[in-house]
Amino acid sequence: MRSIMAVAVNTIRQILRLKIAVIFIVLLAVLLPVMGLTMTGDGTIKGRLQTFISYGLSLASLLLCLLTIIISVYTVTSDISGRQIYTVVTKPVRRYQILVGKFLGIIILDFVLLIIFTGAIYAITIMTPKIAGVSDEEKTLLKNEFFTARQGLKPEPVDVSKDVQQTFQSLVQKGQIKPEQLQDEQSRRQIIDDITRSKELASRSAAPGQILNWQFKNIKIKSTDPNTVLFIRFKYEVSVKPADMMVNSLWEIGDDRDIKLGQVPKTKIYQLSRRDRIQAFHEIAIPADAVPADGYLAIGFINPPQLNDTVVIFPPDGLEVLYKADSFSANFARSVLLLFLQLIFLCCLGICTASFLSMPTALLCCLIVFATATVSSFIFESFDTLSSGTELFYRFTIKPLLHILPQFDLMNPNEFLVPSKLLSWSALGWIVFIVVCVKSLLLFLLGILLFSFREIAKIIV
Amino acid sequence: MEHVIETFSLTKVFSDWWGRSKVCAVDNLNLKIHKNEVFGLLGPNGSGKTTTIKLLLGLLHPTKGRSLIFGGDSTEPKVNSRIGFLPEESYLYRYLNARETLDFYGRLFDLPVEVRRMRIEALLDMVGLKAVANRAVGTYSKGMARRIGLAAALINDPELLILDEPTTGLDPIGTRQIKDLILALARRGKTILLCSHLLADVEDVCDRIAILYSGKIVTEGMVKELLQQTDKRQITTGLVSDAVIDKIRQLLDSSKTEYSIATPIDRLETFFIRIVSAAQQKVHTPSGAVSTTKLGDFLVGQPEGEIKAGIIEQLASKEAEKKSVEQPASTGTVNKPAEVPLPVDHDVLKGLVKPREPAKPVAVKKQTDEPAEEVRQINKNILDELTGSPEAKKNKEDKADKQQGG
Repeated sequence: MRSIMAVAVNTIRQILRLKIAVIFIVLLAVLLPVMGLTMTGDGTIKGRLQTFISYGLSLASLLLCLLTIIISVYTVTSDISGRQIYTVVTKPVRRYQILVGKFLGIIILDFVLLIIFTGAIYAITIMTPKIAGVSDEEKTLLKNEFFTARQGLKPEPVDVSKDVQQTFQSLVQKGQIKPEQLQDEQSRRQIIDDITRSKELASRSAAPGQILNWQFKNIKIKSTDPNTVLFIRFKYEVSVKPADMMVNSLWEIGDDRDIKLGQVPKTKIYQLSRRDRIQAFHEIAIPADAVPADGYLAIGFINPPQLNDTVVIFPPDGLEVLYKADSFSANFARSVLLLFLQLIFLCCLGICTASFLSMPTALLCCLIVFATATVSSFIFESFDTLSSGTELFYRFTIKPLLHILPQFDLMNPNEFLVPSKLLSWSALGWIVFIVVCVKSLLLFLLGILLFSFREIAKIIV
Repeated sequence: MEHVIETFSLTKVFSDWWGRSKVCAVDNLNLKIHKNEVFGLLGPNGSGKTTTIKLLLGLLHPTKGRSLIFGGDSTEPKVNSRIGFLPEESYLYRYLNARETLDFYGRLFDLPVEVRRMRIEALLDMVGLKAVANRAVGTYSKGMARRIGLAAALINDPELLILDEPTTGLDPIGTRQIKDLILALARRGKTILLCSHLLADVEDVCDRIAILYSGKIVTEGMVKELLQQTDKRQITTGLVSDAVIDKIRQLLDSSKTEYSIATPIDRLETFFIRIVSAAQQKVHTPSGAVSTTKLGDFLVGQPEGEIKAGIIEQLASKEAEKKSVEQPASTGTVNKPAEVPLPVDHDVLKGLVKPREPAKPVAVKKQTDEPAEEVRQINKNILDELTGSPEAKKNKEDKADKQQGG
């Protein structure tokens, strides 16, 4: 253990004294306060805070990720190319202990830097409303919509399989599908996929005059505060873009079960009309008394034919119900932990690649993986679409490789903090398990294996 | 006899990227180094000396064969905790200072903090870097880097010290100090593997040598036996009158043997140390390493933390006694009586640390008056033999004669 700590301390000294980290630290130390002072967002105090937290965390995350990649690759490769490693591996230290020491040194430094910078972001975020001198009304709004952690519930996907089968059968009966297409498995599947896609789209679309309905269960609002509100967060896509990019809508929100039975509802049903910009998220605040004790909530969306002349489409993640479930501070701390998990993964990746590659090659590999992990959802979607013809090959080659990568875009703290969405301990625990216990550990073990069996004195050109 | 290092058909072939054999750096090497032996591995550049060391220490994997250190694998912590290693260049963490460097290696050996602290001070004192111990080693000159590298190799008080070109970049005083250190460690029962192409250094300290060429051992044996000129005799005297010389001449003329009589000239090493010592007495502000004759207490078997003066003198006089007993029997040289030692450079070395004290007469040098000439000759012979020059045959015969004579 003492030798592991000796290597760790030496690594920290290396990073600090060779001033590798200094440029990153100076950049963050200068930019964060500047951003705090200058960012205005959409002009509201909430917009200002959202913009600051989003840019601040993105900047800190990007710089710390890059720093971690560079130092983890540098600290291993420089020891090998500078041959200091000769004097270390010939001491009573196992090779894995050297790598563990390096890892610890980097992670300790990362942790300290992360605490300092996210601490600064947190402090600036908390202080901004006080410095800006906001009104009581704005304070309440911030408390409900920003300084909170809201549980998000998405509607369950509509099961369209029966509908698809019926449509398929009717097409066959009508003779619109040719017998040879029926015999060819690939054509058959293609047709079913097409029908499924169009049915799913239809389930999320409302033509002028049409209504869309969603039902939610298990909405558990813990707060007894009568001012408690819940939010409906939504985004529109349209078939034809209106000239002013605005869409009108009518909403009915509440427990509609009694109405269906022809009875007077026990809880309040809220009706409102809105006019919102397309392709942007909006939130409707509804008093929490719309939800009965059993946690049921129905939402109805009406596309008013007299006001709109386009089909309104909700994208797959386009509707969500949000309600307060935890404090902002706890949510912020968990979101910062998400960043830390990214750094752990990158550190393991850097050490793994540096254990057998030269510095430029290892750096390139790490940067490619980092970039890929940052846009992993896009990559998955692209490959899923492109590989439709070579599914078997894709499933057994590229897909498992892609799954080794962590999905940094799903681990982005801004996904939680900007819309004030709860990142639960269970969700965080699952990410810890997948990213740290499985992916990072696998990479680290691979690095140890390669480093333990390589010829240290063999020159890699 | 207990072997500290053993190799069995140790072979290393370097391959290219496609796995095709390119260079056979070490070829079926069978080396046995006994306990408490100072063993010199010699050879021209590219003869496989450093590769052999890297194979021994597990920095490279052998293509064939194996090596054992203390009967085990050198990568085992149990084994390598007993080894000190100074690579061909001091590969240092340039951002650490000297004290931190030694502390880092001390920690790797899991030394308790008190032991570490004492050894660091003793070693810094020994290598003369105490004054610059808080400067980053990246700013050190080559000689200073070498000194701190040596100190790092000694932090665990190793039983086996592997030194790869230890004197490269060192001034003559530093070189002498390393040689004294090797002798002092050998007296404490340590084993030393010295790898060098500076033959004078090797000759001064090694008991046994092996000469490598193209990865193979071409000659192996005791230094004394290999270098002995059994067909010659040498007499060294104090200043005697011309009359006495004439008498000796007459005597030698009558024996009909070839001879030469000349005044011995000082060795350049001795001369250099004398000049530097004089300069140091005038100027007391060195900017880099200070040349000292101190050896770390723990290295010479003294209780740690207790700095005793005159260690080197004690060691040196013991050494002189040992050599004066051994030499007449083995070489047949007529020596001056032991109680009137030759004025050797150790007087001056001592003067470097304690310039005002009167110098005690001590002798540590082997009394070989023209070693450089002989070694050059041997080296030439071997090279001729290897390159197959016309002189080779003659030299080979000479060598055979000598060995028969010995």
